[in-house]
Amino acid sequence: MIEWIHPGLVIFLGGFLIPFIRSRKVKLAYFLLLPIAGLTILILTSMGVFGPIPPWPEALHKWHIPFLQYSLELGRINKLSMVFGYIYVIAALCMNVYALRVKNDWEHVAAMCYVGSSLGAIFAGDLFTLFFCLEIMSWAPFFLLSFRGTKKAMGAAVRYVLWHHFSGVCILAGILMHIHNTGSIEFVHMPWGWGRDYLGYNLMLLGFIINSATTPFHSWLSDTYSQASPSGSIYMTAYTTKTAIYCLIMAFSGVELLMWMGAIQAVFALFLAVLENDGRRLCSYHIISQIGYMVAGVGIGTPMAINGAASHALCHIIYNALLYMGAGCALAVVGTAKFNRLGGLYKYMPISFWLYMVGGFSISGFPLFNGFISKCMTIEAAEFLQRPYIYLLLEGATVGTFLHTGLKLPWNIWLQGRDEPPPDIRAKLKDSALNTPMNMLIGMGILASLCVFMGIYPKILYAMLPYPVEFVPFTITRVFSITQMFIFAFVGFWVLRKMVKGYPTYTLDTDWFVRMPGMRFVRFCNEPLINFGSFLDKNILKVTYFIISCVRSPIPEMRMTPRPIGLGALVVLAVFSLFLIIYV
Amino acid sequence: MNRLRIYPKKLFWRMFFVSLVVSLILDFLWLYSNVFHYHFSFQYILEFFALFGLFGCMALILIAKGMGIFIVTDEEYYERQSEKLKK
Repeated sequence: MIEWIHPGLVIFLGGFLIPFIRSRKVKLAYFLLLPIAGLTILILTSMGVFGPIPPWPEALHKWHIPFLQYSLELGRINKLSMVFGYIYVIAALCMNVYALRVKNDWEHVAAMCYVGSSLGAIFAGDLFTLFFCLEIMSWAPFFLLSFRGTKKAMGAAVRYVLWHHFSGVCILAGILMHIHNTGSIEFVHMPWGWGRDYLGYNLMLLGFIINSATTPFHSWLSDTYSQASPSGSIYMTAYTTKTAIYCLIMAFSGVELLMWMGAIQAVFALFLAVLENDGRRLCSYHIISQIGYMVAGVGIGTPMAINGAASHALCHIIYNALLYMGAGCALAVVGTAKFNRLGGLYKYMPISFWLYMVGGFSISGFPLFNGFISKCMTIEAAEFLQRPYIYLLLEGATVGTFLHTGLKLPWNIWLQGRDEPPPDIRAKLKDSALNTPMNMLIGMGILASLCVFMGIYPKILYAMLPYPVEFVPFTITRVFSITQMFIFAFVGFWVLRKMVKGYPTYTLDTDWFVRMPGMRFVRFCNEPLINFGSFLDKNILKVTYFIISCVRSPIPEMRMTPRPIGLGALVVLAVFSLFLIIYV
Repeated sequence: MNRLRIYPKKLFWRMFFVSLVVSLILDFLWLYSNVFHYHFSFQYILEFFALFGLFGCMALILIAKGMGIFIVTDEEYYERQSEKLKK
């Protein structure tokens, strides 16, 4: 009997066959079949075909491979990894539908490698496998970005890799220190504290924090996601940050620092979103803000908060992909998602507007949409802990989220109080209400249905969560307070709507502190350092020629007195070392 | 399906005003008949969530605009900086 089939491996390896399929129809069918195959494996796993999944935090252990003196564990199946696994493959299916029109097969390959390696990371039972999968995950988006082909996208791709390699190095250093301390490579809950003993764990935490785009290390996300192609960016929204959240839950749940970082991040990102002119960058800031809820949930660390973080990660993947798809529709159809150039698209793209609005209501946490059933869990966990500041920050972030994704973005792209878009945009549209390609609408439709279905019937989500759920989302208190808050947030928006209009601007983020010194360093290497190098080259050669001329001089008095050979070797060694120091 | 239509403005505004008034009245009635179960005392302030939504939203926009004075720049900022450094 088969021990288990790894869904990540099926999708990862299966992806490489896509370019070799000749018939276009077969290719597209195969492209859709890959996540379906992954989903089938997960359903079979849930049904207990490969063995019953024990209650959390116990796990089913599969696929052990000997490596050096250790044993790698490629399949550690627990309730949490199953939650993430399910949503990864369901999201991949919807994203593949959305990306069907993409002509470049290698973009599909990169996307499937990305999905496959993410699944590999969440089912990894040991730290080496986890690190290996995280490294593949840091390369796949590089290709998704670079396939867009623009200069800005290439720059963003390089910056993405640099950030994730830095986080990868931190994680690797943490892993090695952990192994040195304990001798075990098992991926378990890590101790945390300040001081030298915890250096490795702090490095690992830093790596996961960077990967999850937690403030102040969030800027790579808004910088890079908005530069990918419309379909490429959809994949990027889901996997890296959520895998990091999974890792944080597994390794660092209950770390109070994370609670504060998450709550501050949830609000901080919204301030930057107010100033944003690009629809996809605005959505990126909302990913950051929503991750704040998850990080705060991980930091709170109670069963309800962990359930909240896991369920919010799941819901977030669905509605955020939907939001990105909505903003991506404008980009795909009229070539821009900049607010200052759009407005009045409703008449020509009404279905994408309404589907987008489902995502907007979901992310805001409107009752009967899926954000409500997950976000409230984390907020209530903060209430139970009697943390009023955390509660106010998270509740304030809810208002801000509704302001941006529920009001600002749709207002600026589809409405802006006008019935017709600007003439240059109108020229790109057909006289039809169906300007958005059908595959995009189907992809969005599936996600929108999931948002509503889970929002109305939360039990299906709650049954999957690691801890038993006693939380009742639909109480009069909660439904009423959030609805009233949104109604009055709309009043605030309407009063100040001219201030959230788009202007052709760029908002500097925390990456300024890295990018500017980085640019100066590159310039320093390119000019002064190279000039210094050539100056040294020239002068060392001059000195060498002078020594040679002295030694070989035909006049005996002019010749240098012979020295012991060891001294000569020492001089050569010194010159060579200097050379190495300068150049290496 | 394929016909061009503008968004339903009138319907939206009617629904909006009705829900706004109803929410204000319901908050008053339910608060004093102890329907709500909150965790913090400040949540029991009359129309707390209406005020929180309104002022929270406005404060967010105004503070962000204030921050914008320092951090908003033109779209080609980094390209410009890179060119400047090359010179």
